[in-house]
Amino acid sequence: MSTLFEIVSPSYLLFPALVGTLMMGLVCPLIGSYLVLRRTVFLGLTLPEIAAAGVAFTFWLQQLGWLPQIGQGERGIAMIGSLTFTFIGMGLLGYLEQRSKGLAEGRLAAAYAFAGAVTILFMVFNPAGQIEVLNLLKGEVIALSKGELRLLTGVLGLVFVAMLIFRREFLLTSFDRDLAFLLKGRQVIWDVSLYLLAGLVIAFGVIMAGPLLIFGFLVLPALAAKPLVQRMSSYLMLSSMLGLAMAFFGFYSSVRLDLPLGPTDVTLGCMLIFFAYGLRRVSPKTFVALTCVCVAIMVSACGTQAPGPSVPDAKTIHADQIWLAKVKNSTALPLLLPSNNPLRSLAEMAGKISPEDYRQSVMDLLRQNLQSELGKKGFQTSLTEEKDARFPPLPSDSTGAARIARDGKLSGIVFVSEIFRWEGETQKYVRALIDFKLIRIDDGAVIWQRRVQGAIPTPSATNLGQASTDAAGKIVRDLFAG
Amino acid sequence: MRIERDVDEISSAREKDLSEKSFSLVRLQDVTLGYGSTRVVENVNLAIYSGSLIGLAGPNGSGKTTLFRTILGLLPPLSGTLSRGCPLSRFGYVPQGAALDPQFPLSAAEVVEMGAYGRVRPYQLFSAAERERVKEVLQQIGLPQLGARPFFSLSGGQKQRMLIARALMVNPKIMILDEPLSGVDEESRRSIAELLTKLTRENDLAVFFSSHDLEMVQRVADSIVQIDKGQIWLDERKARLRP
Repeated sequence: MSTLFEIVSPSYLLFPALVGTLMMGLVCPLIGSYLVLRRTVFLGLTLPEIAAAGVAFTFWLQQLGWLPQIGQGERGIAMIGSLTFTFIGMGLLGYLEQRSKGLAEGRLAAAYAFAGAVTILFMVFNPAGQIEVLNLLKGEVIALSKGELRLLTGVLGLVFVAMLIFRREFLLTSFDRDLAFLLKGRQVIWDVSLYLLAGLVIAFGVIMAGPLLIFGFLVLPALAAKPLVQRMSSYLMLSSMLGLAMAFFGFYSSVRLDLPLGPTDVTLGCMLIFFAYGLRRVSPKTFVALTCVCVAIMVSACGTQAPGPSVPDAKTIHADQIWLAKVKNSTALPLLLPSNNPLRSLAEMAGKISPEDYRQSVMDLLRQNLQSELGKKGFQTSLTEEKDARFPPLPSDSTGAARIARDGKLSGIVFVSEIFRWEGETQKYVRALIDFKLIRIDDGAVIWQRRVQGAIPTPSATNLGQASTDAAGKIVRDLFAG
Repeated sequence: MRIERDVDEISSAREKDLSEKSFSLVRLQDVTLGYGSTRVVENVNLAIYSGSLIGLAGPNGSGKTTLFRTILGLLPPLSGTLSRGCPLSRFGYVPQGAALDPQFPLSAAEVVEMGAYGRVRPYQLFSAAERERVKEVLQQIGLPQLGARPFFSLSGGQKQRMLIARALMVNPKIMILDEPLSGVDEESRRSIAELLTKLTRENDLAVFFSSHDLEMVQRVADSIVQIDKGQIWLDERKARLRP
């Protein structure tokens, strides 16, 4: 339950991401409801893909030197590409719609396939920016900064107000175009306005949250609300509420269970649809009761995962001296920090030195921090390689670690760490999965253990190396806190 | 057959002096109806006056809906002159029931309210007076108890009457109904027919409705216009029945 209170606190580091997700959950379904009712759901799938193509295209242009850097981060340039391609795509699809050439579904499917293909091609043309583009398209809303949140608030606020003010016009144009013409004149202005608002949400949403999540927010709550209501006003309201629920519980599950936000939210949204169609068969009382039970289960189930205990101090485990093993890297990546020394980089390129010879690794960072914190807890730490330089990193499997330690003529207690995941593709956070254990060497008994899993925010980092350094420090400090 | 002559006959069908005291709400002179280069009906001459109940009879595909859509400004006439004696917002239009998408989760009252959307500005709330008006028209069509029901769960006849209520919300001077009597049971046909007659008599509305069932049109309408094979003419038999 502590996570629940933690994430809703404004001081929480990922609070801007939570607010951004909730705003998208509130506003996107309002647009999505009309896409569903107008039977243009695939537009909600195709436009984000077109926006993604725009992002990849502008990055390629920038790599060629044809576009200047805009703003501090990469999102400025991505925004331009996303907006331009979304509106051009909408214009083209609208033009073809007017000319009634071919099937509407066929046009959307072809546009989706084309946009997907050119996105990949633009990324192939621009290998240097591939990681940045992929990161943007993955839509890590978790990395939302306060400035970006302000921008998102402005855009989504505008869309929300417009959807509220023009709700009658949008409904009339969508439901009965002939009556709309008689009462309001040329209805094309309302069609254009609705699609402009949709384009705005999609273009910004793709940058902030990625195509998958934005499509999920647009369509899934609207589809889930449909079988449960019989009035348009209730439909719009319920869609938004379900969008909010999807955003909140998706975020909560994502943080608590260390799952990527987009797929978690979309899976939750799809479950809402099944749930809604199932609920249609039960009475209103049962409906309310079932909803309460589901929410309670979700909250309590997530709440059972309390953070593990902190590292015990030396007196508690009656051991002043422990062995600190090398940190084992099981990620299949070298996890070396980027070098900022150009001469060394040149030497490395010339094959004179190996990067391992001079570049610090994440394993080194963790071990340095561990050694320092263990000292503060009253332990005298000895490094395993001091006993024998050939000592390998020990696995987190206690039996295996104890056996290797005994083979190396060690006795007492050994502190082992094993990294299973360390993803630091952006300077704003690092995703990590690490096991830490205190193991008695004689019998392999585990005295203490803790698994660290999740996104570690690194708000003050200015580069990827700094992000890893900050994350390693925070992880180790948390192990010893309390 | 030219029906310029019929214009006068229609207008004088119910009461001799009607045309003198009222003005034409719609007048078509030598109008050709169609889509793009396709001509559907040619040389249409027609005038509609307040208080007239006119039936438009013709087989499916003869151009009834095309004529209505042209009168409503949804289709431009290919040639000729079309003039209207009141703004389009005072035209009450009842489309064919099947033209509306059952995908929309709308209550019957929400559908009826749409008729007032022309008067309510985007930022305004729906006023108490408008809500009262919704109740009034539901009372007028005899279905005050069905406002909260989902529109698409109503029977064919009830849906038609709700669409008539929506058209009445416009405060129309003329009502145009596309096949209001098709797809409904006999009892509903009778009640809709009575409702149309009542609206014409009590509200001094012009009502122009279509049907592919000539016999039904003969029973309901004061005047009958027939349309078929690109031609439009006044049905003389009904005219002869007039006092």
